[in-house]
Amino acid sequence: MGYTLIYSQIYEFIPYLIYGAIISLQIAVLSFFGGLFFGLVLATIRTFSLGILDKITVVYVTFFTNTPQLVQIYFLFFALPEFGIMLSPFNAVLLGMTLNAAAYLCEIQRAGFLSIRQEELDASRTLNFNIIQQVRYVIFPHIMRVLFPPLSNHYILMTLGTSMAAIFGVEELTGRAFNINSETFRSVEIFSVTALIYIVITFIATFFLAVMGRYFFKAKMRIIQ
Amino acid sequence: MERLIEEIPNFFTYWNIIFLLKAMGVTLMLTLFGCIFGFAFGLILAIVRKSENKLMMPLRIFVVFFTEIFRRIPFLVTLLLIFYVFQIFQITDSLFVIALISVCLIATAFIGEIIRSGIESINMAQWDAAKAMNFSYLQILKEVIFPQAWKVILPPAFGFFILFIKDTALASQIGVMELTFAGKILNNKGFSPVLVFGSILILYFILSFPLDRFGKYMERKIASGRN
Repeated sequence: MGYTLIYSQIYEFIPYLIYGAIISLQIAVLSFFGGLFFGLVLATIRTFSLGILDKITVVYVTFFTNTPQLVQIYFLFFALPEFGIMLSPFNAVLLGMTLNAAAYLCEIQRAGFLSIRQEELDASRTLNFNIIQQVRYVIFPHIMRVLFPPLSNHYILMTLGTSMAAIFGVEELTGRAFNINSETFRSVEIFSVTALIYIVITFIATFFLAVMGRYFFKAKMRIIQ
Repeated sequence: MERLIEEIPNFFTYWNIIFLLKAMGVTLMLTLFGCIFGFAFGLILAIVRKSENKLMMPLRIFVVFFTEIFRRIPFLVTLLLIFYVFQIFQITDSLFVIALISVCLIATAFIGEIIRSGIESINMAQWDAAKAMNFSYLQILKEVIFPQAWKVILPPAFGFFILFIKDTALASQIGVMELTFAGKILNNKGFSPVLVFGSILILYFILSFPLDRFGKYMERKIASGRN
């Protein structure tokens, strides 16, 4: 043994870590919505099976869901400069996470689209709904009820995934923990506090997502599983 | 571009290929053993969580905390935390064991949840019926619940296993000799990153794609068996 935990040495760094958490959340939110939009495009292509584009999307999705995000970002960060494209660490991580998220979110959203039955659309057309009304009153509420739980689940996973930005030198939560670690060598204390901050930020996210899902979309969601 | 093509024969030498394949084996072992242990412990966790005995209350609370905590810590942070804790207690210096234990902890939390939701997918009436026939808790699980619930449990558990093949890439950060770390070593030796990380990506794909296909096939097969 011969090691005593001294938390008092890292108290002063806690605000620094919390600002790091804000950067983590920034990466998570930006790449989540980027991936959501790009995934929506891909899911639309898949749902309407648009010829050659459909094939490309299938290849894209299988490739990105079957390789690790870390290596994808490695590739973007280290290999693209060979072709003359230099990305800053932050941008490389953001791009990598967005591309990866797009593949997963495409699959999730496609499953949501498939949950709509033709009968529902026919019924709404019989009621003389125009296309906007159909989307507003039939498609959107239905899709969101099915999609919201897996989407919020993926958002939580992506928040955890942002920790790999530290490997590329982005100063987010884990990156800042690395910095403090090399300054004070209080490794266990720092990483346990970092873990605690991750638990807190994902718990807050789960709480608000569950409340939102229940209130707006009548999705079946629980805060503590 | 020409430089890349010139480098290809230098890169794909016998020793480099053996080196990469061995690293691929380490990745597979890490995931496989981690998930097998994770499945075993997750099963225990789920059984404890669903028990109704009052004496089990503290254990149930522990299980809830365990799953909620380990599902919310990034794998990288878990790895580093376990790494430094082991350094303090000087338990082992094998990086593979440290990575394996981290995989186990996370897999236990996630697979425990999967198994629990599988147990919950069985209608409550069956519990009541089995209780009325004076089955004990473990008998109910063994004779009534699991024969039906495994169909709900297996596909997502297998999906988690495939997910973790990719997540173990993070174990390279503490220096486990797995596929990503092998790629980093080859890159540091001076091979072009396009070639190195390109082949690492392809090797991960080779590892994960057949399993993914098999998982989808299994899911379809099982789903068609259920009404």
